[in-house]
Amino acid sequence: MIQIKKIEKVYQFLKNMNEQQEGVSAAEIADELDSNRANISRYLNKLYRDERLVKIQGRPVLYKLKSGANHKNTKKTVNRDIDLKANYINQKSKLDEIIGAKGSLKNQIQQAKAAILYPPNGLHTLLLGETGVGKSMFANLMHGFAVDSEMIAKDAPFVQFNCADYSDNPQLLISQIFGVKNGAYTGANKDRDGLLKKADQGVLFLDEVHRLPPQGQEMLFTFIDNGHFRPLGESEKKMTAQVQIIAATTEEPGSFLLNTFVRRIPMVIKLPSLKNRGLKERFRLIENFLKEESKNIGKSIYIDRNSLVSFLLYDCPNNIGQLASDIQLAGAKSFLNYKTSDNEYILISQEDIPEHVQKGILNLHHKRSEVENLFKGQSEVLEFSYSEENKIVNLDSDTKNEVGTAKPGKLFYDVIEDKLNSLRQENMNKEKIQKILNIDIEAHFKKHLESLPNIINKSDINKIVESEIIEITEAILQLSSRKLQRKFDKKIFLALALHLQKSIERIKAGEKIYHPELNNIRINHFQEFMTAIEAASLIDKKFEIETPLDEIGYISMFLIKNPYQSKNKSKSEVAVYILMHGNSTATSMADVANKLLGENFAVGMDMPLDMEAEKFFKHCSAEINKNAKDRDILLLVDMGSLTGFAEMMEAKNNRKIKIIDMVSTPIVIDACRKAILGQSIEEIYNNTLNYIAQKRNKALAKNDIFTDVKAEAQIKKSKNLIITACFTGEGASSKLKEIIADKYSPANLEIISLNIIDYDNFINKIKEYQKDYNLLAVVSTVDIKKADIPFIPAVDILSGKAFNQLDTKMDNLDSYNKIKNSLGEHLEKLNSSKIVNECKNIIDSILNEAKMKIDNDVKIGILMHIIFLIEKLLQGEKGKTFAQLNDYLSTNQSFIDQVEKKMLFLEKEYAVKIPQDEIAFIAQSFLENSKSKNNVDKN
Amino acid sequence: MENVVLVCTAGMSTSLLVSKMKKIAAENNIQINIEALAQSELKNYSKKIDLILLGPQVKYLLNNLERDYQNTQAKFAVIDSIQYGTLNGKAVLNQVLTLLDKKVI
Repeated sequence: MIQIKKIEKVYQFLKNMNEQQEGVSAAEIADELDSNRANISRYLNKLYRDERLVKIQGRPVLYKLKSGANHKNTKKTVNRDIDLKANYINQKSKLDEIIGAKGSLKNQIQQAKAAILYPPNGLHTLLLGETGVGKSMFANLMHGFAVDSEMIAKDAPFVQFNCADYSDNPQLLISQIFGVKNGAYTGANKDRDGLLKKADQGVLFLDEVHRLPPQGQEMLFTFIDNGHFRPLGESEKKMTAQVQIIAATTEEPGSFLLNTFVRRIPMVIKLPSLKNRGLKERFRLIENFLKEESKNIGKSIYIDRNSLVSFLLYDCPNNIGQLASDIQLAGAKSFLNYKTSDNEYILISQEDIPEHVQKGILNLHHKRSEVENLFKGQSEVLEFSYSEENKIVNLDSDTKNEVGTAKPGKLFYDVIEDKLNSLRQENMNKEKIQKILNIDIEAHFKKHLESLPNIINKSDINKIVESEIIEITEAILQLSSRKLQRKFDKKIFLALALHLQKSIERIKAGEKIYHPELNNIRINHFQEFMTAIEAASLIDKKFEIETPLDEIGYISMFLIKNPYQSKNKSKSEVAVYILMHGNSTATSMADVANKLLGENFAVGMDMPLDMEAEKFFKHCSAEINKNAKDRDILLLVDMGSLTGFAEMMEAKNNRKIKIIDMVSTPIVIDACRKAILGQSIEEIYNNTLNYIAQKRNKALAKNDIFTDVKAEAQIKKSKNLIITACFTGEGASSKLKEIIADKYSPANLEIISLNIIDYDNFINKIKEYQKDYNLLAVVSTVDIKKADIPFIPAVDILSGKAFNQLDTKMDNLDSYNKIKNSLGEHLEKLNSSKIVNECKNIIDSILNEAKMKIDNDVKIGILMHIIFLIEKLLQGEKGKTFAQLNDYLSTNQSFIDQVEKKMLFLEKEYAVKIPQDEIAFIAQSFLENSKSKNNVDKN
Repeated sequence: MENVVLVCTAGMSTSLLVSKMKKIAAENNIQINIEALAQSELKNYSKKIDLILLGPQVKYLLNNLERDYQNTQAKFAVIDSIQYGTLNGKAVLNQVLTLLDKKVI
């Protein structure tokens, strides 16, 4: 209320301003009203949004009253005749945007609009429908429509109340709605307004209205009939309020209770249950929720067809609400998989969806044709992304980071090294890097150990590890057992053996080993460290190497007691509390997070809308003091008054409390995961803020042309791909992948193995990859006869025959990267990396289409020529004339046409016109060089 | 003073390379004249030429040049594509100096 007063003050100030005056800035008003400028700006913006002001752009921005806008004040417009309203019934509003607005909800929306527009003040409405069909949302949209159609003011209240909340205490329930007079019942010790009064001039939504006791029902009906009511305990004074009631109930039609309501409430709208809404609408709902999830996570979500079918067909008694939460659960689970494994995409598959949803696929035979119709033209895995433009950017920047962290089989210090390098590139300071690495190193170490099989025979180990290594491992563990008075199990044996195998190779090869937490280990695990030094001397002797100190740090880690059981629950020093408005938002968010983390970690605290902040604060405070006495607290809240809690609590309790607002489920999961891993409150707080900021930046990025260009350059930058393929995508293809990865390991090369179950699908996938990657080769057991796909038969890789070919490609890769790097400083108008890739692609595709061959150095020459041509054209320079252009054009017409067509891309991309003469020059370089190559070849 | 020309399709990419080479030559007190030419300008070029370096994309001119200049002292070579692509002035200057039997820098 205070806000409204102030906002009106600002409005009045502007109103009193001289008409002739040009406008006034926020700072001037702030001075005049002796108030804070930021607040004034906020009010001004609100007034502007409400179309009561006009903005005059400039510096500073000036504001002025909208001429003739005075009457659009907070009160209802006085003149409302029926004609006017008839126009509104066809007005497009949010109501018309809901899924099914043109389908199963068409009548309901017409009814709702009529109920709102019915003169003079609309009709009270009863919404019928099963749990979860969307009654609350519908009521909310009706309120929105009432605002849009100017039946109620823009700031008219929408008060929501669930009658089930207090159903065990009828007095309290009635007093909540109608208010109470001092002394009406024990505990009612002061006069208090009810929700009806709070909703004056607006809408009161009473959910589960059938839980209202008979007395309350009668009071409600009196209000509906006469527009007045008496607070509980009040016998004399009648009160009035101008409120449109929207009541909702899940009661079955025909029940006695319902009959009374239907008789007394003039408009009844029945919302259909999910199973009566048809598959098409259900599909759109699923799509909508998946996009919502994708938005929350900030990345595309992929779902396989079977899982989507399950969502379409499973028995979902709690309707849309349940569908939404089941999808949310699946989304969060796949997100977690993606975070903790080496998945490159967030993919929802059968394992990720709840069991009762999985059963949906069993209903397929009933609806096969309908489902197939829906999926026509869709691939096996569908992608959902909240923003199409954003999609590629996300895929790129994120997967890249994730790829490095958890490739199976990669030793953890490889991972750490990768990470270290990328962090260094980001210019982080050393301390910060160490902190980040420290968390990672432990997590990886644990994961590495946990992922090893449990029971292993020495003979099995023999197959993968050389016998020398087994001997040294045995020796080291014997030594350590003696020194540390501790037994080491087989798992440690295998882990250490595998580790030594790799690290000894590394030391022999002179590669550097780096341990970011060496000092910590030395201090905190002194015994183990000393033992590891002795172990190292054994290694040195046996293999004639010199084990570096950092490696001794790693060996120490294997000797620490129960390294893989250190997930100590009470170890976490941070408790995570979720505080949110609404009856169940916080608890259900906490539920999802806990289910996924497999631990009851997050605690949700719900704040019903009618609860006062003060009371809620006391409640939370008590709970936290009881259960999280000595821990730091991370509060995750949604908004509003809750954001002030941290300071209030910190003052009362003597410990660190941090608060983060506007949280979503992924943020909760992430924060809990970090807390479980034992991060400190500051780390969790800062990391989470960074995470949120990143997401926000990403959302902004699409509006920002510069980041856009950068992002695109990033995409097309040095990302190279080799695809290996066989029928299953697992057998031969993964072997091929291994072989290639063994031989080539430049940082900018990715190798992906695919299946060829469906040939067309396979080709489509390759085409998709080609958009984002520079595809070097497809190595496949099946012949691929497509000119634009660089195919290498699997046999040639196995026999080693194809390595020449790949070698050249790798070398070229290297030279193009060099060119990109050094051209950067010479180009003013162009991004070197982008243009090099584009030109390279164009040259390759010209050669491909014309089945022409030229030497690699000629390719580079032409590339340079085209790049500088575009640069000069952008600088407004004119090119050279081609002697006897017309003759040349006519003799080589078809090839020149081809070249011209390919150059069209650059013309569009850089908005330049490439003259005919220049096209001819380019064509000439191709033609002449290919001729002379042929000559040479013949010689 | 020796006269060296770098030839490419339109003289655009070589001109940048030439300016870098000149700068390095000057810094090292090497007396040499270097120019960038478009392939079409070469025919009407009247000065004495000691060395012609070709951009890789006009490599095909090599046969013609050998024929056209067979009665002169001129030498010919193609610029290494990586040096060309990276506009490595020093490396190409060294290529020139080698071909002219001079001491490299």
